[in-house]
Formats: sequence, C-alpha cells, structure tokens
Amino acid sequence: MNKPEIINILDRSQNGEYCTVKEWDIKRIPKAVKEKLEKYDLKGACDPENPVNMDAELADRFFKAGYEMALDLGMLCETTDRIIKVSKEELDAALEKAPSELTIGTGDDATVIKTRTPSDPYECKFGASLGITVSEDVWPALTEGIARQEAVDVLEGGSLKSIYGLDVIPDAPSETLVGFEQAKLHVEIRKKAGRPGMGGIGQISAVTEYGQFGGYGIPGALPITDLSLILFPSELKVNYQTLHKVVHTLNVGGMIFAGSPAMIGGMPGPPEGAVLSCIACALLQYPILQADVGGGEIYDIRYLSNVNRDGIWALSVTHQALSRNTNLLTHGIANQVSGPGTKELLYETLVGVSTIAASGAAFSTGPRSAGGKLDDYLSPLECGFCAEVSHAASGLSLEKVNEIAKAVLPKFEDSIKDPHIGKIVQDVYDLENFKAKPEWQQMYDEVKQEAIDLGLPL
Amino acid sequence: MTEDKFIKDLRDVIANGDEDQAAPAAQAAIDAGVNPGTLIKEAINGPMDEVGKSFQNGDIFLPELIMIGDAARVASDVILPYISVEEQDASSGGKVVIGTIQGDMHDIGKSIVSAYLMSTGFKVKDLGSDVTPKDFIRAAVDEKADVIAISTLLSTTQPLFANIVKTLVDSGQRDKVYVVVGGGPVTPEWAADIGADGYGRDAADAADLVRQVLTSGEKPPFAKPIVIGALKQ
Repeated sequence: MNKPEIINILDRSQNGEYCTVKEWDIKRIPKAVKEKLEKYDLKGACDPENPVNMDAELADRFFKAGYEMALDLGMLCETTDRIIKVSKEELDAALEKAPSELTIGTGDDATVIKTRTPSDPYECKFGASLGITVSEDVWPALTEGIARQEAVDVLEGGSLKSIYGLDVIPDAPSETLVGFEQAKLHVEIRKKAGRPGMGGIGQISAVTEYGQFGGYGIPGALPITDLSLILFPSELKVNYQTLHKVVHTLNVGGMIFAGSPAMIGGMPGPPEGAVLSCIACALLQYPILQADVGGGEIYDIRYLSNVNRDGIWALSVTHQALSRNTNLLTHGIANQVSGPGTKELLYETLVGVSTIAASGAAFSTGPRSAGGKLDDYLSPLECGFCAEVSHAASGLSLEKVNEIAKAVLPKFEDSIKDPHIGKIVQDVYDLENFKAKPEWQQMYDEVKQEAIDLGLPL
Repeated sequence: MTEDKFIKDLRDVIANGDEDQAAPAAQAAIDAGVNPGTLIKEAINGPMDEVGKSFQNGDIFLPELIMIGDAARVASDVILPYISVEEQDASSGGKVVIGTIQGDMHDIGKSIVSAYLMSTGFKVKDLGSDVTPKDFIRAAVDEKADVIAISTLLSTTQPLFANIVKTLVDSGQRDKVYVVVGGGPVTPEWAADIGADGYGRDAADAADLVRQVLTSGEKPPFAKPIVIGALKQ
C-alpha cells in the first residue's frame, strides 16, 4: 500500500510542537512579522498615494521575507494546538510540483487558468460569485443568470440559505444534504445556461466538511473537473474541518482550491505585516494542503473590505511578489462593500479587480456584493462586470492601473466605512428574462464608459 | 512609594499588555492601601478608553488590544474582591458571555468586541469561536451572566442564533439573560426577527449597546431590540 503524502501533514497536526491559539495569535505571528519587517526594511512601505505598487524590487523583498516567515512559522492546527512545520526542501518541492496550468470544466466550455506575471496579457480568469446566502426560491434563477454572463469563466454561485425549507445549520445533516442537492442543481443549471462543460467551484452552502462529503467528487455531485473550495482560518491556521476537506478531495482525485485572508489591523498588524502573512500563507498551502490553486487574499478589518487604499496596496504587492517569484496559480478576491444597484459597487470592482489582474494573479473570484453579508444582495450584472474587468485589466501596466485607481478611489472611498447596501436581486434584475433592470443597466453602462475613458480596454 | 506611583505602575503594566505583571502590580497597590475603586477607575478604565481610540485610529493593532485587555482583566480580578458589591456593580457594568457561533472559526471581530467590553468595565467570559448554542447557554448559567453576546461572519451560521433564543424561551430562562447579536451578516431586522434584545453594527458599538441594554430598566426579552449602527440603504 502506498502511503499518501498527506499522512506526514496529518501526523504533524497530531504530534507537532504544542502551541495554543492565543500564543500563536498574539505572540508568534506578531513577533515573526516584526522581525521580518525589520530585517528586510519593509516598515512603512505602504504608499496610499500610489495604491498600486510599481516597485518590483519591493515586491521581491516582500517575497523573500514571506518565504522565510513561512519556514519559520508553519501553520497552526487549531483543533489540536499543534504546529505543522515544513522544511525548506519540502516547501521548495511542493512549489515545484504545484501546477502552473489547470483546466477547470470540460470540453469547449472549460477554462484554462495559467500562471501569470504582472501585466501578463494572458487573462486572469474569473469565477463568480462568492458564497453570498441566497433564498432557496431565488437561487436557481440567480445562479443561471450568473452562468449566462459570458465573461464569467467559472461558476460558483451563492450559498443556499435552506434546503426544502429547512435551514442549513453547521454540523447538522442538512449540510450533507445541501451539499448533494446544490451540486445536482449546479450541474443542471450549467446545462440550462448552454454551458454544460463550464467549470465550477464547490461546496459553498455548508461551512463544515459535510458539504464536501455530500457534494464533491461522488456520484451525482460536482465532478472532479470542478474546484474543491477549502477555506481556512487566518492567520496561518488550519483545523480538522480544513484537513477533512483536503483528505476527501485527494481521495476522490479532485482539485484543491484553498484560501484564507490575511487581516490588515489583525494579528499581523499594518498592511506590510498582512502582506507578509498573506505570502507565507499562500506558499504554505502547497506543502500543507496540497493546493492546486492557492490564495493571496487580504482583508482590512477596520473596513471589512480591501478596496480601500491600504487594501489595494497590499493586494498589489502580494500578487506581484507571488507572481514574480513562483509559477503558482495564485488567486485574489476584491472585497466590495456596496450592494447591487449602486455605482459604488462597480467602482469598487473596477479598482479591486483590475489591481489583482494586473498584478499577476492567475485567478480571481467575486463579487462580494454588499460585503457578502445580506441574503439576496447579489445580481448577475456585477458578476459579469467583475469578469470583464479582470480580463481587460490583465495586460495593463501597473502604472496604468495605479492611474485608474487614483482616479476612481475618490468616487467611493469615503463611503467604504458606511456603504450603501443597495437592493436585493429582484429589485435590480429580471430573473425571468435574465436582464438587468433599466436603472441598474444604466449605472453599469455609465461606469463601463468611464472605465473605457480611463484606458481600460473593456 | 506614593499612591500616584502605584497607580502609574499599574497603568504602565496594563498599557504594555503585560499580563504576567498585572496581578503583582495590582496586589502591590492594594497592599499599599490604594483605594481599589480609584485603582479601577484611574489605572484600568481610563487607559482602556485610550486604547480603544488608538485601535480605531489604526495606531495599535489587534494583538496589542487583546494583550492590554487581558492585562486589565487580570488586574481587575485582583482588585474587585477588595471593594464592596455595590462598588463592584458601579465599576463593573455587568457580566457578558461572548463567542462566535458554531461553524464559524472567525475569531477577530468577537475578540475586538471582547476587548472593548473589558476595557469599558464589563466582566467578560470569552468562549472563543465555534461555540455551540448549548455551550452558550451553559456558560451563561454557570457564570450567572447578564448578557449573551453572539457573533458571526458567516451568514450560513445565523440559524443557530435563533436556536439560542428559542432554547432560552423553551427552557424558561429567557427572562434571566439578555441576548445581543452582531457580526458581518447580522442586521437589525434579523435581530428583531429572532427575538434578540440588541444589535450592534461594529465592535465600537458593543460596549454602548450592552450598557444600554443593562440600564434599560426592563427585564428581557425586549419587545424590539436596541439597535446601534443601522445599515445604509
């Protein structure tokens, strides 16, 4: 019997060095961040006046510091209070082995994501939406509406709030059920939208591993040509939920799409600290979680967003650092806060998504309409807009994207702290005919024209 | 050493987030005869207000906030037994059991609220993240808590908030403890739907919310929740 590679990681999650979550959070992470920021002279590097970094040498220094931090720290398994450390040889081997190209979906509808560098003309592919909760009666049409957006490359869709009227509750059997039922619907919807081979991302409606067990890679569920979404806690932490999902995905031969945000204002402190933590986290996903596509996600806890100046800067440096120094398939998310039916949502998208794409990420997902907080505050139109921006911005220079960011940020940055939540999907989108309602369509047309005028080739 | 020096020493220990030195510094001040009420007010509550503002301004970050909150809690635990129950009530706003609901490992928002509550004079039992409804209720009973504060970042975990309120009702305990809710997906309307007593939009709202709930003069449950920080349409 061949021993699976993951067994070494599982062993460390049970027998690695003991460390409490509290010590990890308030001592080890801040100490490691402080050391690396000083060693590599990175303190105060964030430049809010130029939110998109244009200094390649700075990005490379961040990469070196983040790489060292990954080796120094490892990840904490918060279920067991054990540290999963990896050696330099293990990290390098995992980064070498990670795919630099991946096909999601099948046939003509499939999407190929490829490793990129900043301003790479190969498109940063886009998956929509994030797992915003959606009422059961609205979910099928809304998901089909997203699948019908031609620019959207990969379908994720929102989270089902209930299944056959029963609330989906963490750890309850309703999670296993929703995993399976949502997967079946997902596959049917792709056919109805005329894109049967479109790639997908799942499972999203269940927060625990039961969704994956019920809905990914088993007969009748999401196929292994879809990505298996495995999110885990920040900073640099995993748990048994995460590892269950990893083991299940490996068991069925699927593709692991991992992610966890680094938090500006959280344990790593300032934007520079979050960049370091994010790079370390992105790298460690390969040896520890055997990721195929890994994250480079940033969140600013002061704004519950990342489309503010500090957040944009941190996203840009992180993705430049990763894409310039590895061949990984890195992933980024623009975390909008405004809702459907507001121009601010489109402006936030314009700045956030273009930054990720031009900085070299291979893959991006979104939107997080209305901060992803509210049931049914999501429409297909902004999903399509995100994908259009991602594709169009891919080949732009960092200078151009910085120019766009500087022109557009003043249109929305004052409202980030207290955003307009907008309207529910039924108020802005005709779900029978899959068309935006006139007012929302007009906002889209106007912002799109503004973006074109600023030099985004939409 | 003068009384002022003892107060300053404790203030410094707390400002440095030195949990290990917080108890000895507090005990030294008590042993030297410093009035315990004055210690709470000048060495703990005052500086903690400043810390809250520094966090809001981005001058300090979450690790410092938590360390300072922990040091303040340790010092309070030493000082409070030396003052009368009446004075304790005056200096402690009440006892809050707080946690992130089952299924949600996001700890940060809850930790900020927890630190804010401690900084403004509440006794806080922090249950951590991924807390089951049963454990919330058990802790509230064991700790004789005045308030259960529930947080989440995941909309998919929200039904469990309703489960806590329902279980309190079904077990005849709803009139013994207030329930306040917050976190990313939580809205004032939803707080009202599940029968919560209060909603706070962000961490800074939490202390104000809990204080308003406890000083309302009404027993739980409220007919409608107190709302601080509504969302903009």
